[in-house]
Amino acid sequence: MIEVRNLIKTFEGRGQVVRAVDDVSTQVAKGEVVVIIGPSGSGKSTFLRCLNGLEEFNDGQVIIDGIDLTGSKTNLNAVRREVGMVFQHFNLFPHKTVLENVTLAQRVVRKRGPTEANEKAMNLLTKVGIAEKANEYPSRLSGGQQQRVAIARALAMDPKVMLFDEPTSALDPEMVGEVLDVMKQLAREGMTMAVVTHEMGFAREVADRVMFMDAGRILEDAPPARFFTAPKEPRAQAFLKQVL
Amino acid sequence: MPLKRRTAQRPWQGLLAVILLGLAASLWYATQRIHYEWRWERVPQYFAYRAEVAQDAPVPGQVSALTAEGRFNRIVITPEGGGQPVAVMAEKAQVKVGDAVAENDTVGVNFEWRVGPLAQGLWVTIWISFVSGFIGLAIGLITGLCRISKNPTLRGLAIIYIELIRGTPLLVQIFIFYFFIGTVLNLDRIVAGVGALALFVGAYTAEIIRAGIQSIAKGQTEAARSLGMNATQTMIHIVLPQAFKRVLPPLAGQFISLIKDSSLVSVIAITDLTKSGREIITSSFATFEIWFTVALLYLLVTAVLSQLLFWLERRFARSD
Repeated sequence: MIEVRNLIKTFEGRGQVVRAVDDVSTQVAKGEVVVIIGPSGSGKSTFLRCLNGLEEFNDGQVIIDGIDLTGSKTNLNAVRREVGMVFQHFNLFPHKTVLENVTLAQRVVRKRGPTEANEKAMNLLTKVGIAEKANEYPSRLSGGQQQRVAIARALAMDPKVMLFDEPTSALDPEMVGEVLDVMKQLAREGMTMAVVTHEMGFAREVADRVMFMDAGRILEDAPPARFFTAPKEPRAQAFLKQVL
Repeated sequence: MPLKRRTAQRPWQGLLAVILLGLAASLWYATQRIHYEWRWERVPQYFAYRAEVAQDAPVPGQVSALTAEGRFNRIVITPEGGGQPVAVMAEKAQVKVGDAVAENDTVGVNFEWRVGPLAQGLWVTIWISFVSGFIGLAIGLITGLCRISKNPTLRGLAIIYIELIRGTPLLVQIFIFYFFIGTVLNLDRIVAGVGALALFVGAYTAEIIRAGIQSIAKGQTEAARSLGMNATQTMIHIVLPQAFKRVLPPLAGQFISLIKDSSLVSVIAITDLTKSGREIITSSFATFEIWFTVALLYLLVTAVLSQLLFWLERRFARSD
């Protein structure tokens, strides 16, 4: 479903060139849940943002469901429809109600009629347990509720892949659970997911594979059982010692 | 003084009243010293007045009867040398029975309410401001978008336009627009005036809109793009509505300025409120009264606009 070949992304600043993603190659199969962990600044978010072209990368290839993002004839907008993304800071549209947040892209991108879009939105809002807030503005919602709306908004486009960029990092601890529950349910339903997170519990329970990134490289890529009990890389061992 | 204390309101409000009264008194005293005679009663006729419309005799002859019918008088004229008598209706008759009248002699007058020059000038000011404000907003939106465009040509043009307009006085721009561009393109003075004002307000609006767009968090654009919206859709549905809401207060200030700046078009002989005032003064000599009235009318229009925009602002604040 996702194929990455020799992906390189550099940032330039103050005369220094930082290789945020340094020659990364990997694959994610359909229905697979991949959790990417690593210290801050290791390039995991940048890597994730390259997967839907939100970040322009310098070299390499990203292929989503057979379509090469760098292809000269590729319509990036068309690819992004198939790739949902959930952000650390939710990024709900504050001038639209919860319902409008979920219906807007359906209507302008998928060209669905209002009845169909509303129905789809209400189904999804019910699924993430927030249907009763449909006509509220996002500012009236708690962080956990906003993030669940953001997930519903991404799902409304019927994506083939979902990317989560630290979805629980900006939440109060008591709200982390409600968002993770929604994500676990998605994983059980067979959604292909790439998740950048610091929630080790989630990684252990839900992930099919855990990738450990440091300095822009994937140092370790293993099933959670093996990764959490017997990591091979010294960097991964040190990291786990800190966070567990 | 860490504890919050309530400032006593009454004494300060009293002081405010005293200061205002003092200002009014000094104004009165100043006009006394120059022996100015206030004639406020002359002002209302410049808003609306009853015009006399002359009613003429259609045929030469003699007034044979004069009867009152409601508020009209029926003046019956028997033509010279016989024939059917002709009736003329007039609110005020100016002939008596037995008077001889020639053809087209005025036999009476009717009264009609007419719009005075101050009201006309006020109307011209309002519609000129409104039209140029509307065009200016469109110019500002387009220029603002060009200003943040990645295309160097569009960006360069926008920057040059903004700098040219902001760096020169509006009065000079109006003269150039009227005497140069207006002559070359053979423009009407109204078109030239509205054009100059629209270009002027457009440059300022462009900077306001640019600032508004840039103040919207990047995450908003990213969220919209990640849902598959293209750049235009993102701008229309996500960025501009939020930016517009945010720049409403500075935009309001800009449009209030525009109403006041529109007084400058009186220099190219557009009869707006200011020019009407000047014309009235030459005939009435009520200099102070007219200028105070003109000022008051501007204040009235700007106050209404500012209330309107304030209301709009509160409406938009629903989602906060």
